[in-house]
Amino acid sequence: MNHRLYIVTGKGGVGKTSLSLALAKNLSAKGQKVLYNSFDQEEQVDLCSELNIPSIHFDLIESARKYMAGKLGSELIATWVMKTPFFKSLFNMIPGLGHMILLGHIIDLLESDPELTIVLDSPSSGHALTMFESSHNFKEIFGSGLIVSDINKMHRFIYGENTLKTYITSLPTKMALNEANEVKEHLQDLAFKNTHVVVNDCLSPILELGEELPYFLDTKKKLEESVLEEFKDVVNFQMSHSLGETFQEVILDLVNEKVEKLI
Amino acid sequence: MSIPNKKVEIFCGTGGVGKTTLATSRAIALSSQGYKVLLITIDPAKRLKQVLGLHDSDSGNIISIETKSFAEVSKSESFDALLLSPSKTLERIGKAEGLEDELDNRILKVLTKPYGGMNEIMAVLEVQFHLENGNYDTIVLDTPPGKHFIDFLEATKKIENFFDKSFVEIFKYLGKKVTGDSAPKKLFGKIVSSGIKKLLSYLEKVTGGDFVDIFIDAVGFLYKCREHFTSAIDFQKELRKKEFSNWFLVTSAEHHKVGEAMSLLQDAQKFMHGDNFLAVNKCLKPFLDNWHPIDKDLKILKSTMLTRENELKVFAGKNFKKVLEFSEILAAEPKEHVTDLAEGWNLLLT
Repeated sequence: MNHRLYIVTGKGGVGKTSLSLALAKNLSAKGQKVLYNSFDQEEQVDLCSELNIPSIHFDLIESARKYMAGKLGSELIATWVMKTPFFKSLFNMIPGLGHMILLGHIIDLLESDPELTIVLDSPSSGHALTMFESSHNFKEIFGSGLIVSDINKMHRFIYGENTLKTYITSLPTKMALNEANEVKEHLQDLAFKNTHVVVNDCLSPILELGEELPYFLDTKKKLEESVLEEFKDVVNFQMSHSLGETFQEVILDLVNEKVEKLI
Repeated sequence: MSIPNKKVEIFCGTGGVGKTTLATSRAIALSSQGYKVLLITIDPAKRLKQVLGLHDSDSGNIISIETKSFAEVSKSESFDALLLSPSKTLERIGKAEGLEDELDNRILKVLTKPYGGMNEIMAVLEVQFHLENGNYDTIVLDTPPGKHFIDFLEATKKIENFFDKSFVEIFKYLGKKVTGDSAPKKLFGKIVSSGIKKLLSYLEKVTGGDFVDIFIDAVGFLYKCREHFTSAIDFQKELRKKEFSNWFLVTSAEHHKVGEAMSLLQDAQKFMHGDNFLAVNKCLKPFLDNWHPIDKDLKILKSTMLTRENELKVFAGKNFKKVLEFSEILAAEPKEHVTDLAEGWNLLLT
């Protein structure tokens, strides 16, 4: 059975977007109603349409306006509030607030459609933790009231059984795995269950060919093997390096062979 | 190639290209040339911590790092390193204004937690503070990846907007009345004409009872510290001057990075001057040229690796006058990477 919300995070440049797109494509190919969401980052419009991956994009300001309109019972007032220079600049100064509202919007959508699954391509580690912590932080800030009851509702969803699955993407290097481990521990502190570390781009499997390797590749392979051995208690999945020449080929390669084991 | 020394050196780029190790190695290379250097990391992920062997508890404190623990140097030098801590920055500002008591505010405390989201803005304040102090020849900045780097560059604009005219007028009024112990909230009821009051009454509807009071206290605190914030706006202007800053856009030959480097360059261009460096990291070409695989898959591997690197170099040549190449480092420990890269910087000078 698949989960309702998949969040893919990890250090910058480790392949979060390709993994998220591949996950969404895999689920969609199996007939699951699924949407890819790039969170407050660049929309992957071209890739999604080329690879036929259904996606949804939320504009942060528009999400906030809608949320406020719901709370205040008036579109007009919400539009006015969002336009006041004071609120606008406050909102820009505190990115966590926007992230929380965006996450709330995604959860609302999931709650309104029990058939739907969303794959969230999240910001990289440090900023993903800002996103994960935001609901806890704003609960503390607001204390009580309507916003806090909404945060509690969000938490009931996120912490529910079989709802959320988080993948921390990493690479077979010491720095990347140390960082993945830190994010994992931090998510455990926030009581998130179902967190998995996925090591992308492992060269070793395609180098097991018996042909003599040049010094640099042989060294790369040994370094990779020793770091994977060192972090074997942290790593849940290993994905081999793709020989695809374009980003699309790399994603399709993941869809066809490797991503299934993650679900 | 000569790389003239400037007040600020910025390392930016998309994720995973080696910004942190390259920035650290640059700090080492500069300090071995006799410059007094401060290395600051802005990213909340604090990779610098791993590279320098620091701890979370070091955040916000200036730590002296001996270069001899990295490179084989005849004379041991040191440089200073700082893991940014938004709460420590705010504390320093509050103390400078004699507002220690007002720091005990729930909103200010939560927002300046390590993952409270205020990193980019507080970073600008911290950098400006060290620039004004003038204790360093060069401040080397390790920035967060991609879009968050643009957030850092836009931080001063956000500060400017926050303290914009209408806001300043309202708080000028408050400021006049705020003397001694009277908190701004007591006077708040008197501002009848402003939209802010209406705004807050809406806020009160959806939040806890004490929130609005604490919120006004927090805004009042920021208002009283506004000069620290607004002076940071100068930093942005300086960054655009050639004689003030060196920009290093870092990219890596390892993955499909051309598109990413291109879009970052486009986004960042308006904040930069024209005299920039592109650092191509993790180059494999010297290794690849001497490798003649037989197996089909290995042939593809070699060709994809070469193609990527060549595409990147074409991009480099088209968009940058000054391109620095650093070859892939075959070592496990981040520290070894930094040591080898520091040698790379020295080689560039010869």
